[in-house]
Amino acid sequence: MKRYITIVACCILALAGLAQAQNTGTTTLSVVVGPEAALTVTTGTTSLATTSTTFGNPFTGTTNLTYFIRTTKATGTGALTLKITSDFAGTGGPSVTTPPSTGDALTYTCTVSSPGTACTGSQTASTASSTGFGTWGAAANSTKAGNSASVAWSLSDDPVYATGTYTATATFTISAA
Amino acid sequence: MLPANGSTGTGSQSLTATINPVGSVTAPASASLTTAATTFQPFTGNVTVSYRARTTPAGGGSVTLSVSSDFTPAGGPSAASGALTYTCSGATLGTACSGSQTASTTVQTPVLTLPASACTGGGGACSSQNPDSVGLSFTLTNNPGYATGAYSAKVTFTISST
Repeated sequence: MKRYITIVACCILALAGLAQAQNTGTTTLSVVVGPEAALTVTTGTTSLATTSTTFGNPFTGTTNLTYFIRTTKATGTGALTLKITSDFAGTGGPSVTTPPSTGDALTYTCTVSSPGTACTGSQTASTASSTGFGTWGAAANSTKAGNSASVAWSLSDDPVYATGTYTATATFTISAA
Repeated sequence: MLPANGSTGTGSQSLTATINPVGSVTAPASASLTTAATTFQPFTGNVTVSYRARTTPAGGGSVTLSVSSDFTPAGGPSAASGALTYTCSGATLGTACSGSQTASTTVQTPVLTLPASACTGGGGACSSQNPDSVGLSFTLTNNPGYATGAYSAKVTFTISST
Protein backbone atom coordinates (compact mmCIF):
# COMPACT_ATOMS: atom_id res chain seq x y z
CA MET A 1 0.00 0.00 0.00
CA LYS A 2 2.80 2.35 0.79
CA ARG A 3 4.38 1.76 -2.60
CA TYR A 4 1.11 2.48 -4.43
CA ILE A 5 0.73 5.86 -2.77
CA THR A 6 4.26 6.78 -3.75
CA ILE A 7 3.62 6.01 -7.42
CA VAL A 8 0.50 8.17 -7.57
CA ALA A 9 2.33 11.11 -6.10
CA CYS A 10 5.02 10.82 -8.74
CA CYS A 11 2.44 10.87 -11.53
CA ILE A 12 0.78 13.98 -10.24
CA LEU A 13 4.09 15.74 -10.14
CA ALA A 14 4.88 14.66 -13.68
CA LEU A 15 1.61 16.00 -15.04
CA ALA A 16 2.03 19.25 -13.22
CA GLY A 17 5.38 19.64 -14.94
CA LEU A 18 3.74 19.56 -18.34
CA ALA A 19 1.48 22.52 -17.53
CA GLN A 20 4.19 25.03 -18.38
CA ALA A 21 6.51 25.00 -21.36
CA GLN A 22 9.68 27.03 -21.69
CA ASN A 23 12.23 27.36 -24.47
CA THR A 24 15.11 29.68 -25.27
CA GLY A 25 17.00 31.10 -28.24
CA THR A 26 20.19 33.14 -28.34
CA THR A 27 21.53 35.98 -30.47
CA THR A 28 25.02 37.42 -30.35
CA LEU A 29 25.05 41.20 -30.69
CA SER A 30 28.30 42.58 -32.07
CA VAL A 31 29.50 46.14 -32.38
CA VAL A 32 32.69 47.72 -33.67
CA VAL A 33 33.61 50.88 -31.82
CA GLY A 34 35.77 53.18 -33.92
CA PRO A 35 37.41 56.58 -33.49
CA GLU A 36 34.98 59.48 -33.42
CA ALA A 37 35.01 63.17 -32.63
CA ALA A 38 32.46 65.92 -32.22
CA LEU A 39 32.26 69.36 -30.69
CA THR A 40 29.73 71.90 -29.57
CA VAL A 41 30.45 75.61 -29.45
CA THR A 42 28.74 76.65 -26.26
CA THR A 43 29.36 80.33 -26.80
CA GLY A 44 27.21 81.02 -29.82
CA THR A 45 28.39 84.58 -30.30
CA THR A 46 31.55 85.92 -28.76
CA SER A 47 31.78 89.66 -28.31
CA LEU A 48 35.23 91.17 -28.49
CA ALA A 49 35.53 94.21 -26.30
CA THR A 50 38.17 96.47 -24.86
CA THR A 51 38.21 98.25 -21.56
CA SER A 52 40.50 100.93 -22.94
CA THR A 53 39.47 104.09 -24.74
CA THR A 54 43.03 105.03 -25.57
CA PHE A 55 44.03 102.12 -27.78
CA GLY A 56 45.96 100.66 -24.88
CA ASN A 57 44.36 97.26 -24.94
CA PRO A 58 43.16 94.96 -27.71
CA PHE A 59 39.60 93.75 -28.11
CA THR A 60 39.32 90.44 -26.28
CA GLY A 61 36.78 87.72 -25.73
CA THR A 62 36.53 84.00 -25.05
CA THR A 63 34.73 81.25 -26.94
CA ASN A 64 33.94 78.07 -25.03
CA LEU A 65 33.59 74.62 -26.56
CA THR A 66 32.69 71.15 -25.42
CA TYR A 67 34.51 68.37 -27.21
CA PHE A 68 33.84 64.66 -27.51
CA ILE A 69 36.60 62.38 -28.69
CA ARG A 70 37.66 58.76 -28.92
CA THR A 71 40.92 57.87 -30.63
CA THR A 72 42.22 54.47 -31.64
CA LYS A 73 43.87 52.51 -28.86
CA ALA A 74 47.39 51.99 -30.13
CA THR A 75 47.99 54.43 -32.95
CA GLY A 76 45.25 57.00 -32.73
CA THR A 77 45.46 60.75 -32.93
CA GLY A 78 43.12 63.68 -32.70
CA ALA A 79 43.24 67.31 -33.73
CA LEU A 80 41.21 70.45 -33.19
CA THR A 81 41.76 73.39 -35.49
CA LEU A 82 40.09 76.67 -36.28
CA LYS A 83 39.78 78.83 -39.35
CA ILE A 84 38.22 82.21 -39.99
CA THR A 85 35.67 81.23 -42.60
CA SER A 86 34.15 84.67 -42.88
CA ASP A 87 36.33 87.71 -42.36
CA PHE A 88 35.18 90.84 -40.56
CA ALA A 89 32.63 92.43 -42.83
CA GLY A 90 32.40 96.12 -43.53
CA THR A 91 34.70 98.72 -44.98
CA GLY A 92 37.35 100.32 -42.87
CA GLY A 93 37.28 97.88 -39.99
CA PRO A 94 39.54 95.08 -38.84
CA SER A 95 40.49 92.36 -41.28
CA VAL A 96 42.12 88.99 -40.83
CA THR A 97 42.96 88.66 -44.50
CA THR A 98 44.24 92.19 -45.12
CA PRO A 99 45.00 93.98 -41.87
CA PRO A 100 45.00 97.74 -42.41
CA SER A 101 48.26 98.24 -40.54
CA THR A 102 51.34 96.16 -39.99
CA GLY A 103 51.02 94.22 -36.79
CA ASP A 104 47.23 94.14 -36.77
CA ALA A 105 46.02 90.60 -36.25
CA LEU A 106 43.43 88.37 -34.72
CA THR A 107 45.35 86.12 -32.38
CA TYR A 108 44.30 83.56 -29.82
CA THR A 109 45.49 81.32 -27.05
CA CYS A 110 44.03 77.89 -26.31
CA THR A 111 42.84 75.92 -23.34
CA VAL A 112 42.01 72.22 -23.73
CA SER A 113 41.19 70.02 -20.78
CA SER A 114 42.77 66.59 -20.36
CA PRO A 115 43.27 64.32 -22.20
CA GLY A 116 43.84 66.98 -24.83
CA THR A 117 46.87 69.18 -25.28
CA ALA A 118 46.33 72.85 -26.05
CA CYS A 119 48.23 74.85 -28.61
CA THR A 120 51.28 76.60 -27.27
CA GLY A 121 51.60 80.35 -27.06
CA SER A 122 49.76 82.87 -29.17
CA GLN A 123 48.47 81.76 -32.56
CA THR A 124 47.44 84.00 -35.44
CA ALA A 125 44.07 83.16 -36.93
CA SER A 126 43.87 82.86 -40.68
CA THR A 127 41.30 82.87 -43.44
CA ALA A 128 43.61 80.89 -45.70
CA SER A 129 44.39 77.87 -43.58
CA SER A 130 43.37 76.08 -40.42
CA THR A 131 45.49 76.76 -37.39
CA GLY A 132 46.14 74.58 -34.39
CA PHE A 133 44.02 74.53 -31.29
CA GLY A 134 44.49 71.14 -29.62
CA THR A 135 45.80 67.62 -30.12
CA TRP A 136 45.20 64.16 -28.70
CA GLY A 137 47.24 60.99 -28.62
CA ALA A 138 46.29 57.33 -28.84
CA ALA A 139 43.53 55.90 -26.64
CA ALA A 140 42.19 59.33 -25.75
CA ASN A 141 38.62 59.41 -24.45
CA SER A 142 36.49 62.32 -23.38
CA THR A 143 33.68 61.86 -20.92
CA LYS A 144 30.16 61.10 -22.09
CA ALA A 145 29.15 64.67 -21.26
CA GLY A 146 32.14 66.03 -23.10
CA ASN A 147 35.23 67.91 -21.99
CA SER A 148 35.90 71.62 -22.06
CA ALA A 149 38.05 73.75 -24.28
CA SER A 150 38.21 77.45 -24.91
CA VAL A 151 39.91 79.99 -27.10
CA ALA A 152 40.79 83.45 -25.87
CA TRP A 153 40.73 85.95 -28.72
CA SER A 154 42.69 89.13 -29.07
CA LEU A 155 42.10 91.64 -31.86
CA SER A 156 44.36 94.63 -32.33
CA ASP A 157 42.74 97.99 -31.58
CA ASP A 158 44.03 100.03 -34.48
CA PRO A 159 43.08 103.75 -34.57
CA VAL A 160 42.49 103.47 -38.29
CA TYR A 161 39.47 101.25 -37.80
CA ALA A 162 36.29 103.07 -38.66
CA THR A 163 33.79 103.03 -35.86
CA GLY A 164 31.09 100.45 -36.18
CA THR A 165 30.22 96.81 -35.52
CA TYR A 166 32.10 94.11 -37.38
CA THR A 167 31.45 90.40 -37.44
CA ALA A 168 33.60 87.44 -38.46
CA THR A 169 32.96 83.69 -38.32
CA ALA A 170 35.40 81.18 -36.88
CA THR A 171 34.89 77.50 -37.71
CA PHE A 172 36.27 74.81 -35.43
CA THR A 173 37.06 71.36 -36.76
CA ILE A 174 37.81 68.31 -34.66
CA SER A 175 38.96 64.97 -36.03
CA ALA A 176 39.98 61.61 -34.65
CA ALA A 177 41.72 58.60 -36.06
CA MET B 1 -9.79 -13.99 -30.96
CA LEU B 2 -13.30 -15.21 -31.72
CA PRO B 3 -15.56 -16.28 -28.87
CA ALA B 4 -15.76 -20.05 -28.35
CA ASN B 5 -19.31 -20.29 -29.72
CA GLY B 6 -18.27 -18.72 -33.04
CA SER B 7 -20.18 -15.46 -32.70
CA THR B 8 -18.51 -12.12 -33.21
CA GLY B 9 -18.00 -9.46 -30.60
CA THR B 10 -16.86 -5.88 -30.38
CA GLY B 11 -14.38 -4.08 -28.27
CA SER B 12 -13.58 -0.43 -27.78
CA GLN B 13 -10.62 1.54 -26.65
CA SER B 14 -10.50 5.12 -25.53
CA LEU B 15 -7.85 7.27 -27.20
CA THR B 16 -6.92 10.28 -25.14
CA ALA B 17 -4.61 13.04 -26.24
CA THR B 18 -3.53 15.65 -23.77
CA ILE B 19 -2.66 18.89 -25.48
CA ASN B 20 -0.27 20.81 -23.33
CA PRO B 21 0.91 24.39 -23.61
CA VAL B 22 3.98 24.61 -25.79
CA GLY B 23 6.38 27.37 -26.72
CA SER B 24 9.47 27.56 -28.88
CA VAL B 25 11.57 30.51 -29.88
CA THR B 26 14.36 31.00 -32.38
CA ALA B 27 16.57 34.02 -32.99
CA PRO B 28 19.26 34.81 -35.56
CA ALA B 29 22.68 33.62 -34.52
CA SER B 30 24.11 37.10 -34.74
CA ALA B 31 23.23 40.72 -35.37
CA SER B 32 25.41 43.79 -35.83
CA LEU B 33 24.90 47.11 -34.14
CA THR B 34 26.19 49.96 -36.27
CA THR B 35 26.19 53.71 -36.42
CA ALA B 36 26.03 55.72 -39.62
CA ALA B 37 27.73 58.78 -38.20
CA THR B 38 31.08 59.42 -36.56
CA THR B 39 29.73 61.90 -34.07
CA PHE B 40 28.68 59.59 -31.26
CA GLN B 41 25.25 58.72 -32.54
CA PRO B 42 23.97 55.47 -30.96
CA PHE B 43 24.69 52.06 -32.43
CA THR B 44 21.49 50.41 -33.66
CA GLY B 45 20.44 47.06 -35.06
CA ASN B 46 17.34 45.01 -35.69
CA VAL B 47 16.54 41.42 -34.76
CA THR B 48 13.49 39.40 -35.75
CA VAL B 49 12.56 36.69 -33.29
CA SER B 50 10.41 33.78 -34.44
CA TYR B 51 8.23 31.81 -32.09
CA ARG B 52 5.51 29.20 -31.93
CA ALA B 53 3.15 29.04 -29.00
CA ARG B 54 0.10 27.33 -27.65
CA THR B 55 -1.51 28.49 -24.43
CA THR B 56 -4.40 27.06 -22.46
CA PRO B 57 -7.79 28.78 -22.07
CA ALA B 58 -6.81 29.72 -18.55
CA GLY B 59 -3.19 30.38 -19.32
CA GLY B 60 -1.03 32.75 -21.26
CA GLY B 61 2.60 33.25 -22.00
CA SER B 62 5.43 35.59 -22.63
CA VAL B 63 8.67 36.10 -24.49
CA THR B 64 11.38 37.81 -22.51
CA LEU B 65 15.03 38.54 -23.01
CA SER B 66 18.08 38.86 -20.86
CA VAL B 67 21.69 39.63 -21.62
CA SER B 68 23.19 36.29 -20.74
CA SER B 69 26.74 37.42 -21.52
CA ASP B 70 27.66 41.09 -21.35
CA PHE B 71 29.80 42.84 -23.93
CA THR B 72 33.38 41.66 -23.99
CA PRO B 73 36.22 42.45 -23.89
CA ALA B 74 36.29 45.02 -21.10
CA GLY B 75 36.65 48.70 -21.86
CA GLY B 76 33.66 48.97 -24.13
CA PRO B 77 29.89 49.11 -23.72
CA SER B 78 28.16 47.35 -20.85
CA ALA B 79 24.58 46.17 -20.71
CA ALA B 80 24.94 45.91 -16.95
CA SER B 81 25.26 49.67 -16.85
CA GLY B 82 22.08 50.14 -18.86
CA ALA B 83 23.69 50.95 -22.20
CA LEU B 84 21.53 48.55 -24.25
CA THR B 85 17.87 49.37 -24.85
CA TYR B 86 15.29 48.04 -27.29
CA THR B 87 11.81 48.49 -28.60
CA CYS B 88 9.46 45.80 -29.87
CA SER B 89 7.10 45.91 -32.83
CA GLY B 90 5.02 43.89 -35.24
CA ALA B 91 4.12 40.88 -33.14
CA THR B 92 1.98 38.55 -35.24
CA LEU B 93 0.65 36.79 -32.15
CA GLY B 94 0.32 38.44 -28.77
CA THR B 95 1.20 41.97 -27.76
CA ALA B 96 4.68 43.40 -28.27
CA CYS B 97 6.36 45.27 -25.44
CA SER B 98 5.55 48.94 -25.20
CA GLY B 99 8.04 51.78 -25.17
CA SER B 100 11.77 51.56 -24.67
CA GLN B 101 13.03 48.69 -22.53
CA THR B 102 16.44 48.52 -20.92
CA ALA B 103 18.07 45.14 -21.38
CA SER B 104 19.46 43.62 -18.22
CA THR B 105 22.04 41.07 -17.25
CA THR B 106 20.14 40.20 -14.08
CA VAL B 107 16.43 40.17 -14.88
CA GLN B 108 14.21 39.10 -17.74
CA THR B 109 12.66 42.04 -19.56
CA PRO B 110 9.52 41.84 -21.69
CA VAL B 111 9.39 41.26 -25.43
CA LEU B 112 5.78 40.22 -25.84
CA THR B 113 2.80 38.86 -23.95
CA LEU B 114 0.73 35.91 -25.16
CA PRO B 115 -2.98 35.76 -24.32
CA ALA B 116 -4.98 32.75 -23.19
CA SER B 117 -5.98 30.27 -25.91
CA ALA B 118 -3.27 31.53 -28.23
CA CYS B 119 -1.94 29.26 -30.93
CA THR B 120 0.42 29.63 -33.82
CA GLY B 121 -0.62 28.97 -37.40
CA GLY B 122 -3.70 27.85 -39.23
CA GLY B 123 -5.75 31.00 -38.98
CA GLY B 124 -9.15 31.13 -37.37
CA ALA B 125 -8.69 31.21 -33.65
CA CYS B 126 -4.96 30.86 -34.18
CA SER B 127 -2.56 33.21 -35.85
CA SER B 128 -2.25 33.15 -39.61
CA GLN B 129 1.52 32.82 -39.58
CA ASN B 130 3.72 29.93 -38.66
CA PRO B 131 6.03 30.72 -37.06
CA ASP B 132 4.96 34.01 -35.58
CA SER B 133 7.47 36.79 -35.27
CA VAL B 134 8.23 39.98 -33.41
CA GLY B 135 10.78 42.64 -34.32
CA LEU B 136 13.25 44.18 -31.92
CA SER B 137 15.24 47.34 -32.51
CA PHE B 138 18.29 47.54 -30.30
CA THR B 139 20.04 50.78 -29.39
CA LEU B 140 23.45 50.90 -27.76
CA THR B 141 24.77 54.15 -26.37
CA ASN B 142 27.89 55.46 -28.07
CA ASN B 143 29.93 56.71 -25.17
CA PRO B 144 33.21 58.51 -26.00
CA GLY B 145 34.68 56.65 -23.06
CA TYR B 146 34.52 53.31 -24.86
CA ALA B 147 37.87 52.06 -26.05
CA THR B 148 37.99 51.39 -29.76
CA GLY B 149 37.59 47.75 -30.76
CA ALA B 150 35.09 44.97 -31.46
CA TYR B 151 32.71 43.86 -28.74
CA SER B 152 30.01 41.22 -28.53
CA ALA B 153 27.29 40.20 -26.12
CA LYS B 154 24.79 37.35 -26.00
CA VAL B 155 21.09 37.93 -25.64
CA THR B 156 18.87 35.01 -24.65
CA PHE B 157 15.18 34.97 -25.50
CA THR B 158 12.89 32.85 -23.36
CA ILE B 159 9.34 31.85 -24.23
CA SER B 160 7.00 30.53 -21.54
CA SER B 161 3.52 29.12 -22.05
CA THR B 162 0.91 27.92 -19.57
